[in-house]
Amino acid sequence: MNAQDLLQMFDANALRALAPLIALALGLVLVLLVGVFPLGRAVRATLVVASLAASAVLHGNLLLGGETPGKVLAGTFESSSTTAMWGLVFVASTLFAWLYSVRYYEEDAPFKNEHDALMLATPIGMMLMAGARDLLVFFIGLELLSIPLYALAAFRRDRARSVEAGLKYFLLGAFAAGFFLYGSALVYATTGSLSLDTLADPAARAALGQPMALVGVALIAASVFFKVSVFPFHLWVPDVYEGAPTPVTALMATGTKAAGFAFLMSALVLLPASTASTVALIAVITMAAGNFGALAQTDVKRMLAYSGIAHAGTLLLGVAGAIHGDPSNGGAVQASLVYMAAYVATAAGAFGLLALLERDGGPTTLESLKGLAQRRPWVASALTLFMLSLGGIPATGGFLGKYLVFSVAVRSELTGFAIVGVLLSVVALGYYLRVIIALYMQSPEHDANIPAPRPASAATTLASIVCAALVLATGVLPGWLLELT
Amino acid sequence: MELVLLTFLPLLGALAVLCTPRAAEGLQRGIALATTLAVAVLGVKLFLGYDAAATPYSFSLPWFQLPWRDGTPTQVHFSLAMDGISLLMVTLTAVLMPIVILSTWGHVEKRVKEFMVWMLVMQTGMLGTFLAVDLVLFYFFWEVSLIPLYFLVGIWGGEQRLYATVKFFLYTLAGSLLMMVAIIAILFDRGTSDRGELIAQLGQTPLEQQLWYFAAFALAFGIKVPILPFHTWLPDAHTQAPTSGSVVLAGVLLKMGTYGLLRFCIQMLPDAAVAAAPWMMALGAIGILYGALLAWAQTDLKRLIACSSVSHLGYVVLGLFALTPAGLSGGMLQMVNHGISTGLLFLLVGMLYERRHSRALDAFGGVATVMPLFALFWVFTVLSSAGLPGLNGFVGEYLILLGSFQSSPLWSVIGLTGVIFGAVYLLMATRKMLFGACTNPENQHLTDLNAREIVLMLPLVVLAVWLGVRPNDFMGKVEPDLAKVGRRVAEARQSTAALEPVTPLTEGVAAR
Repeated sequence: MNAQDLLQMFDANALRALAPLIALALGLVLVLLVGVFPLGRAVRATLVVASLAASAVLHGNLLLGGETPGKVLAGTFESSSTTAMWGLVFVASTLFAWLYSVRYYEEDAPFKNEHDALMLATPIGMMLMAGARDLLVFFIGLELLSIPLYALAAFRRDRARSVEAGLKYFLLGAFAAGFFLYGSALVYATTGSLSLDTLADPAARAALGQPMALVGVALIAASVFFKVSVFPFHLWVPDVYEGAPTPVTALMATGTKAAGFAFLMSALVLLPASTASTVALIAVITMAAGNFGALAQTDVKRMLAYSGIAHAGTLLLGVAGAIHGDPSNGGAVQASLVYMAAYVATAAGAFGLLALLERDGGPTTLESLKGLAQRRPWVASALTLFMLSLGGIPATGGFLGKYLVFSVAVRSELTGFAIVGVLLSVVALGYYLRVIIALYMQSPEHDANIPAPRPASAATTLASIVCAALVLATGVLPGWLLELT
Repeated sequence: MELVLLTFLPLLGALAVLCTPRAAEGLQRGIALATTLAVAVLGVKLFLGYDAAATPYSFSLPWFQLPWRDGTPTQVHFSLAMDGISLLMVTLTAVLMPIVILSTWGHVEKRVKEFMVWMLVMQTGMLGTFLAVDLVLFYFFWEVSLIPLYFLVGIWGGEQRLYATVKFFLYTLAGSLLMMVAIIAILFDRGTSDRGELIAQLGQTPLEQQLWYFAAFALAFGIKVPILPFHTWLPDAHTQAPTSGSVVLAGVLLKMGTYGLLRFCIQMLPDAAVAAAPWMMALGAIGILYGALLAWAQTDLKRLIACSSVSHLGYVVLGLFALTPAGLSGGMLQMVNHGISTGLLFLLVGMLYERRHSRALDAFGGVATVMPLFALFWVFTVLSSAGLPGLNGFVGEYLILLGSFQSSPLWSVIGLTGVIFGAVYLLMATRKMLFGACTNPENQHLTDLNAREIVLMLPLVVLAVWLGVRPNDFMGKVEPDLAKVGRRVAEARQSTAALEPVTPLTEGVAAR
């Protein structure tokens, strides 16, 4: 490939498709640059927000601005209204995590510049994953997302738990990356292509049925399942989520999961229709593992980690429906988009409020939440809203997502799995309610140990208000979100 | 528009209460009372002005679109409408709520602001449930009305409140989530969530499928009512709830279950209802008997009334699923009756508890000598609950037994024995509590009812007599709609032909 071809590949269309990624990359570089100079935090903060905002605007333009660029870069990357919507979800997820991180660390914590730069790298990776039409492009995205997260998870170097989380995530993540590459190699060996579009051809589909290709697909699925925390690749989640700095946990829980499911939804071609019930079964087991695991927790952060596993299971049920049914009608993609959009606002808000409480100096156990409604009424009511949304109660965004995903399952004749899933979400309410009980219905036993509430930073307040508003807005007037997706 | 105002007025009130400072408890109570009174006035006005022949009130706005087959969307509407069936339930809710709010003067002392907010939010949820025409909207309101009670019991309840409130929540949620699956399936099947259209269309689906829908709906509503095997949450919730919570729970929330049975299981799925009727009647009749026996065995007054609720709502189920005109009318009427009588009973027990801080039956005796007015109200209420002719309970029970006898003498007779047991446990409790010598020194200084307490109960007393003497003032409004349901059921019966056609009721028997 000569320079001419390369230039042709980067035509105006490709630039338009990549502009949201480029905006973030520019922001990243500038953040690193200003770190060299003794400029104030304000410049860095402005850069982060500006690049995220620019990316959001560019995505918005792609979403609403009529014709989308479609497949670019020799068909390896796609920019459609769906990927644009995913892009908005990723930007939102990063923005919330960043806002909550602003005052999370100590005033004199080192490497804050690097922290922000790493955070800006992750959405670029997510966008590549969501738009990938080629397994290698996906892999680049995956690594661009994962490597910053390994570092971010270990960011509180003074805390053993954080370092442990980073190392654990890194080791297992490295394995998952290896699985992915090996799987891709096997697929390439049997079909002669890594392009998802070529793999959709009848000849390639037939080749995908060969045992070697199936092993490859299974390995690829395993690595993606690892990233989105699906049974049996979910065991790392509680430790890593608990040990990592809470804003980073928020990013991992929302952004990574969203990117993984965006890819699953666009890579359905890899999974033959016969796998639908297997995937549905895995989904239900994941839900059970997450929900029953969460039921046993006393630390709310760890509990939310398990709840994240359960949510991954629910979304996977939607994927199973898409595999089984006709993926072209778009219902399943819409369902997962709406579900994830609501989940990003909800989970980011919930983790963010936990980060706020951690700053007060206390633990995040159920015990420490007792009577919080009296000490911090607004935090308690927002946390309640997020818990209800995680539980999928109507008037919150969580309900809309749950409704859509289960309706995909029912439409695809996976009703039995849907019923089991629905009953498992009753179990889920068991632990979400426990949080609300602690907040509103119990009083603290030892008054002396309660740290005095410190005022929340403007960034935290803003993020929480936006999250809560989004959760309510999607719950009460879902029309706008359904129209966007 | 009236319906939207009616539904959301309490929510506005809740927002107003939310804006008051925490310490301004008087203001919060005042706002809550004023709001509920305004809703009551609106409700009564709607009731008096209601004419079944005229165009019924309705309101509809497109809400959002859900994906359907091949990418065609299904339009979900924010649509409220009122027919006779809704009318009765809405009026009951509207009238009961100011009474409930007024009753909180005696027993809600902490966190008044939150209490009023939840009460008002709950009223919006309940009114919305009774008025919603769209299935998705119905589900929305149905679940939203769940949360406030969770808080009401959990914060202001008794010793075991956390256990009771979680149990209540999870039981109800399990049922309603299965209903959600059924709603999804119906939407996918028919492409509409409008109840009117579904009533017209669902007859075309195969009976087996209808039965699945029926099962899901009946389970959700059955847990709420509660029908027999799912009743265990109710005594706990009732016992632990604050008085006002118990009154709303018994008066309105349980009616959401029976209302749902009538609306969805019978009106929307008549073929399945005909097929399942013997089973449902059996559950209803056994519930009457079992609930009565349970109540007989209780030593806690509130638990006793809760168990009597199980028994009384068994009548409603028995009547509704008799699927005869008399049975439907009786079931409908008994829903209102139960709201009035059991509401009164809970209010009275609450007043006693506020004075004596005990609900144990053994702790009392001879209360009538120190609290004659209380005794008067109590005896009146017990008689209304036990179905004394001339009071409300009689008409409903009579119609139900008549209606159910026409379709199943066996279950009717079993239900009839419940009437006897009902009188037994209520009168025994009354005797133990009110009469005899006032030996316990703690009871000797109980003060009698005050003016507020009497005033708040009077409307219910008036209603109890009115319903007993002139039930047609109420049933006249609802009968045309019940007749429609009855016709649908009759058609379903003929098409299945598995059951004997029922001899039509002679004109004039019903409610006269």
